[in-house]
Amino acid sequence: MSIVIETKDLSREYLSYQKPEGILNSIKGIWNRKYDSKIALNQTTLQIESGKIIGLVGANGAGKTTLLKILSGLVTPTSGDATVLGYRPWERDYKFLKQISILLGQKNQLWWDISPMDSFVLLSRIYDLELSTSRKRVLELAEMLQCTHVLNTQLRRLSLGERMKMEIIGALLHEPRILFLDEPTIGLDIVAQENIRNFLANYVKEKEPTIILTSHYMDDIATLADRLLLISKGNIVYQGTVDEFVKNSNSELAHDEKVDFEEVIRRFLETESRIR
Amino acid sequence: MISILKKYILLYFSMFKASFIADLEYRANFFTRILTDVFWYVAQVVTFEILYQHTDHIGDWNLKQMRVFLGLLFIIDAFYMIIIHENLENLPEKVRKGDLDLLLAKPVNSQFMITLQKANTAIIGNLVLGTSWLIFSLHGLDDFSYIRLLWLLLLAPCSLIVIYSMRFVFSASAVIFTRSENLQFLWWQVYRLGMRPDSMYNPIMKWILLTVVPVGVIVSIPARALLNPPNYFYLIWPVILSPILIYLTHRFWKFALTFYSSASS
Amino acid sequence: MKKSFAVFLKRNLAFAKLAIVTNLEYRLNYFVDAIVQPIMTTGIEILLWLGVFAGTHSVTINGFGKDFYLSYALWAAFFARIATSWMYEFRMIEEVSSGTINSLIVRPMGFYEYYLSQLLGYKFITTIISMIIPIIASYYFKLPCIYERIPLASLLCFYYLILVHTISFLVCSVAFHLTKISSFTVAKNLMLWILTGELFPLDLIPQPWRSQLISLPFASGVYLPVGYISGRVDHSYMVHGFISVTIALVILNLIASWLWKIGLRSYSGTGA
Repeated sequence: MSIVIETKDLSREYLSYQKPEGILNSIKGIWNRKYDSKIALNQTTLQIESGKIIGLVGANGAGKTTLLKILSGLVTPTSGDATVLGYRPWERDYKFLKQISILLGQKNQLWWDISPMDSFVLLSRIYDLELSTSRKRVLELAEMLQCTHVLNTQLRRLSLGERMKMEIIGALLHEPRILFLDEPTIGLDIVAQENIRNFLANYVKEKEPTIILTSHYMDDIATLADRLLLISKGNIVYQGTVDEFVKNSNSELAHDEKVDFEEVIRRFLETESRIR
Repeated sequence: MISILKKYILLYFSMFKASFIADLEYRANFFTRILTDVFWYVAQVVTFEILYQHTDHIGDWNLKQMRVFLGLLFIIDAFYMIIIHENLENLPEKVRKGDLDLLLAKPVNSQFMITLQKANTAIIGNLVLGTSWLIFSLHGLDDFSYIRLLWLLLLAPCSLIVIYSMRFVFSASAVIFTRSENLQFLWWQVYRLGMRPDSMYNPIMKWILLTVVPVGVIVSIPARALLNPPNYFYLIWPVILSPILIYLTHRFWKFALTFYSSASS
Repeated sequence: MKKSFAVFLKRNLAFAKLAIVTNLEYRLNYFVDAIVQPIMTTGIEILLWLGVFAGTHSVTINGFGKDFYLSYALWAAFFARIATSWMYEFRMIEEVSSGTINSLIVRPMGFYEYYLSQLLGYKFITTIISMIIPIIASYYFKLPCIYERIPLASLLCFYYLILVHTISFLVCSVAFHLTKISSFTVAKNLMLWILTGELFPLDLIPQPWRSQLISLPFASGVYLPVGYISGRVDHSYMVHGFISVTIALVILNLIASWLWKIGLRSYSGTGA
């Protein structure tokens, strides 16, 4: 298996402006501001093989979104280096962008005022796809997701679940080699979550893309991910399979206690929040 | 009654203070704001200065009188911008996002809140600028009795009420229509009619602008009080008109709100 | 190379089509924007000129009679509608400051071209409808108007629109650093209000300012096309307009793309 994502000492810090309360301090703040720097990602070095699904897990603000954004080219790192498919992501080479896709569960990427089908035509133009092939592909994916009937309704009239399905089709339209999924099931009901999980599992079997997945639902990670990346305060604290992770954790416990993946993660996040 | 008044005055002071703090947060905005309006002033001044290069009178006013008119326009507009503008400007957006719920749920008059919640203190610099221009223009007049400025104590608040009421109707329609960006643009066009002296218009138009669409009251009447001998109809009319308009906005707001509850469900 | 240009063209046509489809979606909005607003502006400006001519003792101002000014006011409002981009400029800045730009920069296309093509598509669809009004009005009221000059005048205005878009792009790249720059754009638009000649014909300005302002690229937005149609300026001015817009386009694009690069590098991908 070849390595598709590689990072070395990848770091990113953010500056934010601190203001004590009151008018006087506000006036002072006009010429004199104190900045706080916060390290979102700290010297991360990792390698990811092609065709794997990586589950990225961590508390809010642990740095998983930052990592995702750097790898997809949205954010430039403060220091360190990374290559994805042989490109430096933040240079945003069109050849690179044509091979990746990012899906943000909390944001619409399709166009609000037109129908998904019109959006897909537009996307085909952007990614330079043959219209007839992409149309076939849309129908195929819509069939798998059971949402053919809403393809010609304006996006703004669709329900959250339907919209997410449309976003997924849009993200997969150009058959990306790497797929970044940031909370693809957020806000959906249990049935819809399950549908999307099943769809992704089938899709991966068929096309074998590399997927980086973040989610707050541990079921997503447990059923889909081949490998687990546990991130805490900007540092990767665990890399390996889900099973091994659970086994390791269980071996540390008294032997009459058995916990599942979700419980392990819950305990992990709990300890973390106590330390903070 | 007094205690209610006191409550609202105190409330307004704390909202004003909070606005000031919030405005200081965006320091760049604080300075560009003055810069922005300087361009607006310049646009107004230059237009008339250029026109008067080619004619002595527009309507029945000469250049020096027109400068006074513009000075009054700048000051009244600055007050409007400081106290009211931002609130009404953002009202349609608040309605669309459903933020109005939060205001309606509070035990305070909702019209009071949506009108005065956020002062735009960054405009205070403009007020200074506008006042300087007015003083400059009054200084240029051949004979001006400064005692006439006292009329402004009566007329300027009336002007403010007139702008407010009209703008309020445009903004509050957003509750009824939800999507109304163009209506807001329409307001600007109507307001522009009032930014020119009423005597420029023909008698019918002038009559309309003083009564039905009273933008003519905003600047033209105070300007006449400064420049011409007192005309009692002009001095009394704004005083009668203002309470009527306030009452009408109150009724309109109540009316508009009946649409809100049904629209958000 | 040839292939990539064809791809570029195809996708930009798609963007233009997107703008047309979305704007026709809100029919009322479109109607108001294309027809009602410019008619109102025209009406207000015409009232001003009627007032000015009522007060003056001479029949001409700066060598032109009342009809010329009414004609100018009529056409200026419609050209000024074309030559401004407040809606798309606002959206562009919103994309940057709210972080929705994320979904655009992960795609193999440029932010500049994406919005330029949308802007042009949208302006095209409004122009063909709204231009009917001044044509009918000047025919009906017999105002001075050289009809065969309309196509070239419109072309210059559209060319100028690319410059307007470049300025919006420049403002956007500043938006990466300053969170609230709306007032800056207002200042800019007000300045253009005078410089394009929307407020009054630039030839009313006394020398030496007059020649200076007319030679700036901004005159190509309103003054030159409208003056050309109503017979205030001749062919040589138009040629000059095309040249000065071209020069400004080159310079501003260089600055803007440089600022954009810096902006993206410091961008922290706010939002989800």
